[in-house]
Amino acid sequence: MAARPRVYRAEGVILRRRNLGEADSILTVFSGSEGKFDAIAKGVRKARSRMRGHLEPLTRSRVLVAHGRTLDVFTQAETVESYRRLREDLEASAEALYCLELVDRFTEEREPIPELYALLVASLALLQEGAGPSVTRFFELRLLALLGYEPHVEGCVLCGGRLPEEEALLSPAAGGLACRQCRPEAGAGRIVSVAVIKLLRFARRATAPEFAAMRVPGDAAGELRTAVGELIRYHLDRDPNARRFVEGVGALGREEPSPPSAPDSPL
Amino acid sequence: MPEAGAPEPIARLVQEFSKLPGIGPKSAQRLAYHVLRAPEDDARALARALADVKERIVFCGTCFNITERDPCGLCESDNRDRTLVCVVEQPLDVLVVERTGGFRGLYHVLHGALNPIDGVGPEQLRIQELLGRVEAGDVAEVIMATNPSLEGEATSMYVQRLLQPLGVRVTRLARGLPSGADLEYMDDLTLSRALEGRQEL
Repeated sequence: MAARPRVYRAEGVILRRRNLGEADSILTVFSGSEGKFDAIAKGVRKARSRMRGHLEPLTRSRVLVAHGRTLDVFTQAETVESYRRLREDLEASAEALYCLELVDRFTEEREPIPELYALLVASLALLQEGAGPSVTRFFELRLLALLGYEPHVEGCVLCGGRLPEEEALLSPAAGGLACRQCRPEAGAGRIVSVAVIKLLRFARRATAPEFAAMRVPGDAAGELRTAVGELIRYHLDRDPNARRFVEGVGALGREEPSPPSAPDSPL
Repeated sequence: MPEAGAPEPIARLVQEFSKLPGIGPKSAQRLAYHVLRAPEDDARALARALADVKERIVFCGTCFNITERDPCGLCESDNRDRTLVCVVEQPLDVLVVERTGGFRGLYHVLHGALNPIDGVGPEQLRIQELLGRVEAGDVAEVIMATNPSLEGEATSMYVQRLLQPLGVRVTRLARGLPSGADLEYMDDLTLSRALEGRQEL
């Protein structure tokens, strides 16, 4: 009998936890090798659980998982990165939670997307270094691209013509920017400024650190956030829950210019 | 899951039991038949306890703990330090902190923790009410005793940010090793915080 192995290994980021029964939890992990999967952590809510701290949401862990009849079961877990500085920063954790929710909502179970996993890990590291919300913009745009929803921003999505250096319509339904002539056929969308168009193009060729290091004036950053947010909403058919939290935290205002972290762009 | 054939009252009881957390269809059935066989007094006592819990328990208008009368005994007591407020997620947490016998202040129950991904925001928690209490004066220190989880930490940081302008001292429960734990299996986060919080022997 060529039975399949009883256990498998994975390294992934814990996306979310739901409690089950008295002391168990179901955790959703997004890993490079297995994609997204759910598994039960038995007794993980007890104070003496050996796996507890290693299976917190927003932790990157190496896990050993046993196949179960209905749900798989964690048998071992070890932290790779606990993102401590990220957790201790309210703004950064809000951004990180938003990214985790996007991954959870956009992915299917057991469909590995190694590039998306690498993107998530890189983005969490940048957020932890204090790189700020531009990391999230880059994450959103790359996630859309990896899943085949990349907006066409180099020319007009409808006629293929070059876009003059002026504002254009970004239409989620048409799948990108529309020139002045094509606007009537492009469906609903939002007029975006030249600055935003340049940022959308830059995100296609930049690396995450390069994009995060860009100094973006506050109004362009806000405009980009709204525009990309509309793309996300269109493809998800809803707004991610965590977006309200990011906005709520943003409205509180920082008490001091963010601690030691990098000279981040004040988006 | 009402079984075919069972008389209606018992099917209904099975149905009700199976709504309880952790109770599957089989357990619900076992419980329902147990009640059927139990002495009538026991069954009546159960029914009365169930009704009382809904009819006689209210939230304290000050600390939002569960109580039979508002304000609750803790909030009314003369032996408590009114300058200290311990903020917890659930009413059960109040009992746990009380059991230590080491806290003589008052409480504030938030009724949950921020969970941005599941859509639990500040407006679903008793955060505004806490701000009101602090604004009203008296409180010198707010102790954040939310769970040391992602949600609990986010809640603590959020509340701290709101309290800061009011000039009140905000503290957080220390994090360290649980008693009876095994160092070998400790996660980095807990261990590094335990190291930082080490104390003279």
